[in-house]
Amino acid sequence: MSEIESPQPVAETPNALVAPGRALGRDPFDDVASSDPLDEALEQLETRESRRPMDRPRARRAHRSVRAAAPATAPRSTARQADPAADADAPKPDNLARLIRRRWSTTPPLAEIELPPPKGLIDRLLSSDERRVLASLAHLVEGEAPYDRFGYSPEVMKSTFLVMRTLYQYYFRVRSEGHEHIPHEGPAVLAGNHGGLLPFDAAMAVIDGALHTDPPRLIRTVVDRWAGTLPWVNLFYARAGQVIGTRENFDKLLRDGQLLLVFPEGIEGMRKTIAHRYRLQEFRVGFIEQALRSRAPIIPVAFIGSDDQTPILFDIKPLARKLGIPVAPITPTFPWLGPLGILPYPVSYRIVYGEPLRYHERFGPEGADDPRLVRYLANQVRRTVQLMIDRNRQ
Amino acid sequence: MTHVLVTHADEPIGRRVVKNLYHDPNVEVIFAIGSGPPPRKFDPYLAGSEPRVTYTRLDLAKHRPVHDLFHSAGFRAAEIDTVVYVPRHGAGSSLNEPLVGGISERTAESRLLLQHCLETRTIQHLIAIGSAFVYRLPPGNANHLSEESELNLDPNVMPEVRAWIDSDMIFHSEVHNDRLRVVLLRVPTVVAAGGYVYLHPSLAGRPGSRVRALGFDPICALVSDKDVARAVRAATRAPVSGIFNIAGGEAIPLSLLSRWTGHTSIPVPGPLLGMLDATERVLGIESRLGASGGVHLRYGFTLDTDRAAEELGFRSQYRIGLARAGDGALRLDTASV
Repeated sequence: MSEIESPQPVAETPNALVAPGRALGRDPFDDVASSDPLDEALEQLETRESRRPMDRPRARRAHRSVRAAAPATAPRSTARQADPAADADAPKPDNLARLIRRRWSTTPPLAEIELPPPKGLIDRLLSSDERRVLASLAHLVEGEAPYDRFGYSPEVMKSTFLVMRTLYQYYFRVRSEGHEHIPHEGPAVLAGNHGGLLPFDAAMAVIDGALHTDPPRLIRTVVDRWAGTLPWVNLFYARAGQVIGTRENFDKLLRDGQLLLVFPEGIEGMRKTIAHRYRLQEFRVGFIEQALRSRAPIIPVAFIGSDDQTPILFDIKPLARKLGIPVAPITPTFPWLGPLGILPYPVSYRIVYGEPLRYHERFGPEGADDPRLVRYLANQVRRTVQLMIDRNRQ
Repeated sequence: MTHVLVTHADEPIGRRVVKNLYHDPNVEVIFAIGSGPPPRKFDPYLAGSEPRVTYTRLDLAKHRPVHDLFHSAGFRAAEIDTVVYVPRHGAGSSLNEPLVGGISERTAESRLLLQHCLETRTIQHLIAIGSAFVYRLPPGNANHLSEESELNLDPNVMPEVRAWIDSDMIFHSEVHNDRLRVVLLRVPTVVAAGGYVYLHPSLAGRPGSRVRALGFDPICALVSDKDVARAVRAATRAPVSGIFNIAGGEAIPLSLLSRWTGHTSIPVPGPLLGMLDATERVLGIESRLGASGGVHLRYGFTLDTDRAAEELGFRSQYRIGLARAGDGALRLDTASV
């Protein structure tokens, strides 16, 4: 590794993630010789521990009782299971807690964005306001790395935005209202109805949310696991900021203060035939649990137009099961026109954001452990969305 | 003051751990063991009449040498109270060679080391470096995984990952031990200056051609070898036991990581990957193309490190990126922030 020890300027490198002028390839011992935030954290850990009135780690003693009570629990660090009584003498406020406090991922307001001159065709096709929005959303990626932890790529988003923005304005002619209900910062779960064979409702919500919020907010749609198994589709979703609906992903994004769009009907929403359009199917409850645990409000969203974009006449379920796909539809154009038949018709879209439902304020995170409450709240959200759909379709 | 034993100290991560601990004022004695000769970088440490570091050659996977070591006069004199298990992470193919009874080298090492740590009363603390590739991956380009995520107990998992899982479960079984404090650090792909990559099932080894599934480009969590050493140091001092995910701030797609590490990434249709893997096994050239990467060639993951931050006080300090080396070539490198 001696080849990196010569102080070459890093700024010349096209993909350098390191700030210009920062020396690389220093002596291997420099990193331990110089000041390290870890030392400070370790000292605080030791200080905190030395104030406890026992020699052995306090947490271990507490853990014995936990293990005896619940031997089959998942592996947990012992320090987390300390008894509350022993914690009472711990110093508060703890500096360590301040050190590790999580910050929400935020984007800068549009007024603070300084645009560089346009580069390339895509930049020229986008308006300066749209470029400002995209530049602001690029701040979700930490530092200068090209991707965030969920695979979101601002570069891919730029080209996707251009296409979807065109569809938003000229093809679906989207009208929307209630943007004031989208919080400027912090986590929120948007729960809406789902329709259509291709998820253009989600795409339109992403564009609408980015264009009508300042600072711009990226709405991250929670997609079905099945989409993660599809070649290229999984890549496109991830690079455009969408995430697979696992509990850990959901939890992490809400803790990061991000906006999540869920379709609690799941695949059943996609399967609705023309006779059942705009009639909501039963809601799943996972989003309620996560919202309560993360203390996030739930914003009901009504999508008008999505159920008309590809009206399903029949769904051949046995065929879908045999092919391992969620739906085998017969529509006025599919399969008669081949793959082109699943493309949406140029229907007019309307997106309505409702008032936030702050269940977390009333029931708290512990409410997530009550299955009856969670089911009841899911039904409440479903009723609210259904009312919004009915009101706005008239 | 802590007296530490470090395994596989002759390998890159082990060397880094020894160096980091050497500069820790709380560490008085370092008892390094490895299968090869002592690294040249240890020369200044091993010099002098009473060096703080001693180095012993040992095959950790064999019972007799390990037994002799733990009962030797030198070991008793060193009064070791902390053992750091750094697994072997050199050439990928050698890790798949089974020992007698079909147990992998890593599994045998883990079992022997844990057994002797439990039997030696002076040892109070065992820190093991494990792999984050033990987690079961749901479909998706990037899955966020916490310490509570499921392990991949699929019997058809690739041999190297199975060895990691076995080793992980061996240490996991003693996490609740009252006498021995066991800390298991699960790390993702480890990156070292100069473009070296360790612990990745398909990218370890010399630069060459590597396959990946066509239409997939999973996100890979990365961590610098220096951050791994810092995490070990944090674990030697933090008064906790348990399992902790350790990862850096960067996460990049497999194709980009391949490029940055000098490999040529070849997209291959999914069904052909299995055939390629079988062919490699028949020809005895596992890990040459990395076709045995299995699910890790399709689905990616990042790690939740909040628990390590909260209880070990560990936060990654090293950024990973490209930098121009002395010979003018761009290489993967790490830099402190």
